[in-house]
Amino acid sequence: MNHTIAIRGLTKRYGTFEAVSDLTLEVEPGSICGLLGPNGSGKSTTFKCLLGLVRPTSGTIEIEGKPVDASTFASLGFVPERPALFEKFTVAQHLDLNRRLYQKYDAARANELIDLFKLDRKKRAKRLSKGQQTALSLVLAFSIRPRILILDEPASGLDPIFQRAALDLIIDAAAGGATVLFSSHQIGQVERAADRVAILKRGKLVLDGNVDTLKGQEKVVEAIFEGAVPESNGLINDPRVRRVERTGRILRLYVRGDGDEFVRQLERLGPRSVDVLDLNLEDIFLGAVGERDESSSGVV
Amino acid sequence: MPAIFTIDPRSGVPLYHQLIEQVKRAVALGTLAPGEQLPTVKALALDLTINPNTVARAYRELERDQVIETSPGRGSFVRDNGSSIEAGRAVADIAQGAVDAAVREAKSFGLGRDAVIATFERVLERWYPSNPSGRNS
Repeated sequence: MNHTIAIRGLTKRYGTFEAVSDLTLEVEPGSICGLLGPNGSGKSTTFKCLLGLVRPTSGTIEIEGKPVDASTFASLGFVPERPALFEKFTVAQHLDLNRRLYQKYDAARANELIDLFKLDRKKRAKRLSKGQQTALSLVLAFSIRPRILILDEPASGLDPIFQRAALDLIIDAAAGGATVLFSSHQIGQVERAADRVAILKRGKLVLDGNVDTLKGQEKVVEAIFEGAVPESNGLINDPRVRRVERTGRILRLYVRGDGDEFVRQLERLGPRSVDVLDLNLEDIFLGAVGERDESSSGVV
Repeated sequence: MPAIFTIDPRSGVPLYHQLIEQVKRAVALGTLAPGEQLPTVKALALDLTINPNTVARAYRELERDQVIETSPGRGSFVRDNGSSIEAGRAVADIAQGAVDAAVREAKSFGLGRDAVIATFERVLERWYPSNPSGRNS
């Protein structure tokens, strides 16, 4: 399989602090991969390494099969963590710069997007609001008709309508064959736009997969008892059980795979009812990065 | 074009499953007629603001289930034959799922088997009256 974006064994240390630890992440052509993780989990460091803004301590990064160099940027649209704009340039001057720098720059598309985000062409970058700076960064990234998009928080500071517009841009680009890696704090955005999700925690990849496949695999088996929840030691040691939660008369098992077998096991404990519940991406995310479960058995 | 399908990305049910069910339901109900063209993958992805590969996956499975057919360059269409049988089956599945969820909930409330049957008969009587002209006594 040819991967458009291939991060292999990436480690980045700042002094003794390891921001990213042995991260391997490969994104297939035409896929939209959403990168999720709490603050400080290494998302932005990963993006900086991808864009060549910082040098990895070890590991390799390839885009379209080659290490990142100047030629990579001809077909790469990007939005960095902090907008890379020229404070004194107006919106129109930024477009002019893009026209001179990028062969594939599409002026009609740029104008369309400027209107979409209602940006004032005469305004200087430093006078734009945070959201308008993000919007201008998006216009610059998408108006070069990129094959690859690397977007660190591409909707930050945007109002809900423009957030949706940003998602539409990503979806439209992917439908045209572009490959996208984007990070977001809003799980709902990843749940819509991404077919693939990667979850980081303290610099390490803790969960990675197709969003729909993960939803199909991860289940909660919930048993409600008449009285106290009985002991269920055997279940806690099962490697497919990711987490056990006891709340009053309710016992919840977070399991990977078919829940039916656990239903049968729990029914032997004589509960009033047993149910299998689906997990959405937020549940899956919290399960993957959560620390709130002290009663947890070992996470797989 | 108004959305012909509604999906809930925040649900734990995989999106492509939701989409497959929606298309089958639309075919069974006649909202999508045999021979009718479906939106392109790109148009539907943008319409619903969901991932294009997810739409493509749903279309592939619908093709395998012989509900739709795709001809390169022309698009995807509801099949003339067979689709109604498959869609009828799908509607029966959807109905069973709804009944299943209701019975499961009744059980979790602690209702006994007889109470559930009695409830079921009351609801059945409402929608399928055994004495259509008069009211239940």
